[in-house]
Amino acid sequence: MSSNGSNLSENFLPSQYKSDSEMEIQHNYLSSQFSEYKEIMKLIEIVVLKNDFTLGEAVDEFEKRFAFLHQSQYGVGVGSGTDAIFLSLKALGIGPGDEVITPPFTFFATVGAIATTGATPVFVDVDVDGFNISMDLLEAAITSNTRAIVPVHWAGRLCDMRILGEIATRYGLKVVEDACHAVNATRDGVYAGSYSDAACFSFHPLKNLNVWGDGGIILTDSKELSNRLKLLRNHGLVNRNECHEFAYNSRLDTIQAVIANYMLDKIHFITDARVKNSKYFDSFLRNIPQIQIHTRRKSIKEVYHLYSILCEERDELYNFLRSKGIDAKIHYPVPLHLQPAAKHLGYKPGDFPNTERISKKVLSLPVHEFVSTPQLDFMIEKIREFYGI
Amino acid sequence: MESKIASIPFVNLGAQYLQIRDEYLNLIDEVGKSGQYILGEENLCFEKELSEFCESKFAVTVANGSDALFLILKALGIGPGDEVITAPNSFVASAWIIVATGATPKYCDVDESYNLDPMMLKEIITERTRAILPVHLAGIPCQIEQICQIAESRNLFVVEDCAQAIGARFNGRHVGNFGIAGGFSLHPLKNLGVMGDGGFVTTNDQELAQKLVLLRNHGLKNRDEMVVWGYNSRLDEMQAALGRIKLRLLDQWNERVVEIADKYKEAFQHILHLPVVASHASPVWHNFLVFTDKRDELRSFLLSRGIETRIHYPIPIHLQIGHNLSYKKGDFPNSEYQSNNSLSLPIYPSLSDFQVSKIIETVLEFALLELS
Repeated sequence: MSSNGSNLSENFLPSQYKSDSEMEIQHNYLSSQFSEYKEIMKLIEIVVLKNDFTLGEAVDEFEKRFAFLHQSQYGVGVGSGTDAIFLSLKALGIGPGDEVITPPFTFFATVGAIATTGATPVFVDVDVDGFNISMDLLEAAITSNTRAIVPVHWAGRLCDMRILGEIATRYGLKVVEDACHAVNATRDGVYAGSYSDAACFSFHPLKNLNVWGDGGIILTDSKELSNRLKLLRNHGLVNRNECHEFAYNSRLDTIQAVIANYMLDKIHFITDARVKNSKYFDSFLRNIPQIQIHTRRKSIKEVYHLYSILCEERDELYNFLRSKGIDAKIHYPVPLHLQPAAKHLGYKPGDFPNTERISKKVLSLPVHEFVSTPQLDFMIEKIREFYGI
Repeated sequence: MESKIASIPFVNLGAQYLQIRDEYLNLIDEVGKSGQYILGEENLCFEKELSEFCESKFAVTVANGSDALFLILKALGIGPGDEVITAPNSFVASAWIIVATGATPKYCDVDESYNLDPMMLKEIITERTRAILPVHLAGIPCQIEQICQIAESRNLFVVEDCAQAIGARFNGRHVGNFGIAGGFSLHPLKNLGVMGDGGFVTTNDQELAQKLVLLRNHGLKNRDEMVVWGYNSRLDEMQAALGRIKLRLLDQWNERVVEIADKYKEAFQHILHLPVVASHASPVWHNFLVFTDKRDELRSFLLSRGIETRIHYPIPIHLQIGHNLSYKKGDFPNSEYQSNNSLSLPIYPSLSDFQVSKIIETVLEFALLELS
């Protein structure tokens, strides 16, 4: 926020960046990743010299490659993961008067995207084992106004979409997956997007597949939905001059698509590194009684966007680790149903006991591809030290 | 595509990039290594510099020009049941952002400056009207003072569409300061453009600025507390870094386009119809429109000589298929005249004197053959 001597509450991110950058083992790995920037800048300069900034060739190429990786038919690049969810819901005709079911344990944007369509978010609690929307509680929340379900694949662990898809089909509901954490993740051998109308991904700088700013994509097997989304993201324009429906501006920048293409070549390496680091953590942390790790299943390929675990004395542990230079994070301490913005929905503490329990105990540790084994050992040692083991 | 065959393309962003390349690469290196790609220091500095340049108390960066206007309307509480008046000869986003809030766009035809006609405005205002959204089209300021007077007398907000008008002034005052807020675009083709989508809002209203800061970032007051339902509409740090470098050159670039526009005006004033610029208005010529009933012939002629032109815009908003409201041909004659008769000539800072002369000579040659 700029100001000529005003006392506005400021954009809070710069001070957060500052305190995080003082950490020895960082959650944010972008500085290390950026070592390859000269190679990427050469590719970006080609875009610049061709004036190909808006929905350029690199966007088409990335959409095809990303869809192919996830065995999906169509990809539509958009401005962010938030917009991916918002536009998918709009394209499916969801708006005022409609109810959309989603978990209260998620990032703000999942619910923000629902609320900004005019629809009403309806929360269904998550399972403590896996932090995803509970299939057992889902049906009870469906009413005559329910139009869609937006499940979240928390930390890159897919929900049981086969079951969710069956329930949705039975009640005639649309399904838009929040797969922002779930690039390259599978369950029973299939990717996000297999049992739904659309799957939405984010390329925010800290996602497993990232760009240098905001970006997102929608995957779908429906040509009709894909065509509609291509209109909605670009002012409803079918060509330079003809506008076929009222719409938005939400485009993946061509230069960000160049970066996304570059990173896509590394996605298996990135995923493998995160899996390896997480398994290493698992093998040591599992033996600490104060820590609870959810059941790892062979049928689920988790991609560990976050290494997200439950800890006793979480706040103390969090402060202790940060004092030792470890950039532990809490994703997220206040669940969505208890946020001030959600007050009008009428929820209260105690409504979603699993979510509330997780919010009080959850902690994320860095497992990105730049974390070394000695760093993992150091983090394990400090956690053991904290619990006196 | 067209620019490949034209010796004078309609836009030439590559030339502009080469002018700042070294500085940009150094800055990108710094931003990259900082690991802060979303709403970091570059945005903080850029906002401060934009507010200084635009002489407004606050500047708030957002993802694009459409979002700038959309978020202003949302922050003002405009929504279903409300009417917002704008000009039908603008880019479709000027109207679509009104629809996106749930409000209804109402159109007012343009005057000979090809901006909203204050004389016709009063007839369009109803008891449901909440705001007027005048456009400073092509970088030519509209009759913003008159419009604000009318709005004030009817207790309406004025939200200025400054997407094409950074640097433009009316009575010496920068656009975006007359109404409650101004929405600007940083799209690559704009006078100040980045390498993708970008935009910002100027306002002198602290409460509004505060709301916009929340709305653009998920309604978050801090990392963990969401106080309103918000959006994700942020300017990437890399783009803010580029914007900062270019902003320092903008006055110089705008002076050059004004110089080119002066040459065009002098050469064409007696042979083509030109927009009438209000006496107190200082335009920045995002586009230079000329008008002739042989527009398509002129366009083909110029292209055959390697000069690329464009039409802004061949279909006025009220006649777009996307419009679910019942407007018909003839409803806004001046706007329709523009769609059928206007042609935009190349105008940008890196256009050389030689190229400008060639464009002028070629248009004059056409005039001799076809218009005499």
